Amino acid sequence: MDQDKQIIQEFTAGEYKEGFVTDVEQEFVPKGLNEDIIRTISRLKEEPDWLLEFRLDAFRKWQKMEMPRWAHLDLPEIDFQDIIYYAAPKKDKDRPKEIDPKLAETFEKLGIPLKERDVLAGVVAVDAVFDSVSVTTTFRKTLAEKGIIFCSFSEAVKEHPDLVRKYLATVVPSGDNYFAALNSAVFSDGSFCYIPKGVRCPMDLSSYFRINARGTGQFERTLIVADEGSYVSYMEGCTAPMRDEQQLHAAVVEIIVEKDADVKYSTVQNWYPGDADGKGGILNLVTKRGICKGDGAHLSWTQVETGSAITWKYPSTILKGDNSASEFYSVAVTNNYQQADTGTKMVHIGRNTKSRIVSKGISAGRSQNSYRGLVRMNAGAKNARNYSQCDSLLIGSKCGAHTFPVIRSDNPTAVVEHEATTSKISEDQLFYCNQRGIGPEEAVGLIVNGYAREVLSRLPMEFAVEAQKLLQVSLEGSVG
Amino acid sequence: MGYGNYRDPMKARPAQYVVGAGEKLELSFVVLPGESRDIEVSIDLVGEGAEVTLKGLYLCGGDERVNFRILMHHRAPGCVSHQLFNGIASGSSKVTFEGRIVVAPDAQKTEAYQENHNIVLSDDAHVEATPQLEIYADDVKCSHGATVGRLDEEAQFYMRSRGIPEQEARVLQMLSFLSSVTPEGREKEIEGAVRAL
Repeated sequence: MDQDKQIIQEFTAGEYKEGFVTDVEQEFVPKGLNEDIIRTISRLKEEPDWLLEFRLDAFRKWQKMEMPRWAHLDLPEIDFQDIIYYAAPKKDKDRPKEIDPKLAETFEKLGIPLKERDVLAGVVAVDAVFDSVSVTTTFRKTLAEKGIIFCSFSEAVKEHPDLVRKYLATVVPSGDNYFAALNSAVFSDGSFCYIPKGVRCPMDLSSYFRINARGTGQFERTLIVADEGSYVSYMEGCTAPMRDEQQLHAAVVEIIVEKDADVKYSTVQNWYPGDADGKGGILNLVTKRGICKGDGAHLSWTQVETGSAITWKYPSTILKGDNSASEFYSVAVTNNYQQADTGTKMVHIGRNTKSRIVSKGISAGRSQNSYRGLVRMNAGAKNARNYSQCDSLLIGSKCGAHTFPVIRSDNPTAVVEHEATTSKISEDQLFYCNQRGIGPEEAVGLIVNGYAREVLSRLPMEFAVEAQKLLQVSLEGSVG
Repeated sequence: MGYGNYRDPMKARPAQYVVGAGEKLELSFVVLPGESRDIEVSIDLVGEGAEVTLKGLYLCGGDERVNFRILMHHRAPGCVSHQLFNGIASGSSKVTFEGRIVVAPDAQKTEAYQENHNIVLSDDAHVEATPQLEIYADDVKCSHGATVGRLDEEAQFYMRSRGIPEQEARVLQMLSFLSSVTPEGREKEIEGAVRAL
């Protein structure tokens, strides 16, 4: 037994290799949050008046709201006046078009190619965001030939204001919740993509978010629009330096899926989780929502959540179009003092809408891992169907695993099924593997990966490999 | 074998039960058409080897409001709890089921199971199920399941293609759905209520 524990511990001993800091000159706005700060951010980004108004309106709503406390989380008091809301690496005036070599080096180190290099390396178009600004977006030209727009949110505001204005805040209104309102007031950068009618995006699109500066918050805003009959696979990744202070990441992601369009959204979330004593780490408080607007639309969420001190995230789908479908696949790993309250919402409005939820939680150390979900069948959701499965795996006796699903049906023809189980890696399972010549270390790896396989297999190839490695590293020192 | 040491279930709300070491508690709930009920039960398993079985049946045909709130708190190691609640909502009735299982940090070797199944027969009936698992120990076997659905069309077709009239086929399926939660000796009464639905 003791030996097993030791083996699990050794197996899971790893470290956060993305925890370095890039030494680059940055410009900041002063600390604090008020209308002047918002005006400054808007001015720095050279935004039109309507967007400034949108921000100010959201800020006024936010001031009247209270921090949500319903999650199964021990949320610290956040001093919103003690955060820097905008930080950007300084542009070299002599070479305004080029990427600062230090930034290029940073992303290289993180394994994110900023140059459009050999096709064989796997073709992925990347939008790289460093603190509050987008550094570069690759393959823009190739994509533009097909009419696809993929650029930073700030550029989209300048170059495609009509599209942005048409869709912004249509899925997540500015006053939707506390953190969405905060984001709407101070959001900095993120990605914008628009896939025109009938176009199948030839490569995966990807955004990479990096927090670097101390004392800052990152407020990502992403908007994805898939027009009729189009297809896109979008991936998102993120990392941050190791620090003693907690940093805030409050994002809003909106996805609009028109008639017969298909969107696949994948996330590997690897923010700094804090150290083994629960010091530091990112507070990841995120609103992600998509709408299957037209008939036959399809939206699929896949997430691997291994990082962040606190995760508060419920990627949701509104199934408005008839025959539309959505899936949510999630693996959430928590270790040490990490806390996660994550899940999904499936709101069925249209007829024959279908949704499927597969959530796998793994908790270790002294962490708390909760699944929270809503499946709602509205009165008009004739013949709607949902199946949910939420499993929890416990490693160690000091962690917690919780499941809070809500099922609501207002339609007699709708069928909802929910199942949840909780178990641990048993000595029997380890013994079985050992007996067959599989080393104990490998056995834990096998069991965890096997357990998460149904979700990992949904990830695009590049991500799946990374995610498997992450799962192992994240369980650092998980028994004790 | 002893029974749970219960504390006045009629007057105290929620009804509270404390089940000690080696004790067994079995409770059965039946809510028939025409009855609106708020049923709140809180059960503490405080001694090793305690066992609890809860069964619930509800039938709503009019504008009833039936609310279940169950808290199953495993505070001691090696306890077992089973819960099964099946019900049918018709008319403009509204059913909520909130079932919470909590396993305390030291309650190792716990087995806790909960199931809640609902059949909705009419457009205006509403069902809301909120099963919850809160687990703070690792060596446990816990599961919950909840479903909301309609009468299975294939089963209906199977019976009707064998000459069973539509109404009778519906009644048969509802009775079989409720059979696992029907208390002994009350089969006739429940059959009557299903037929009248």
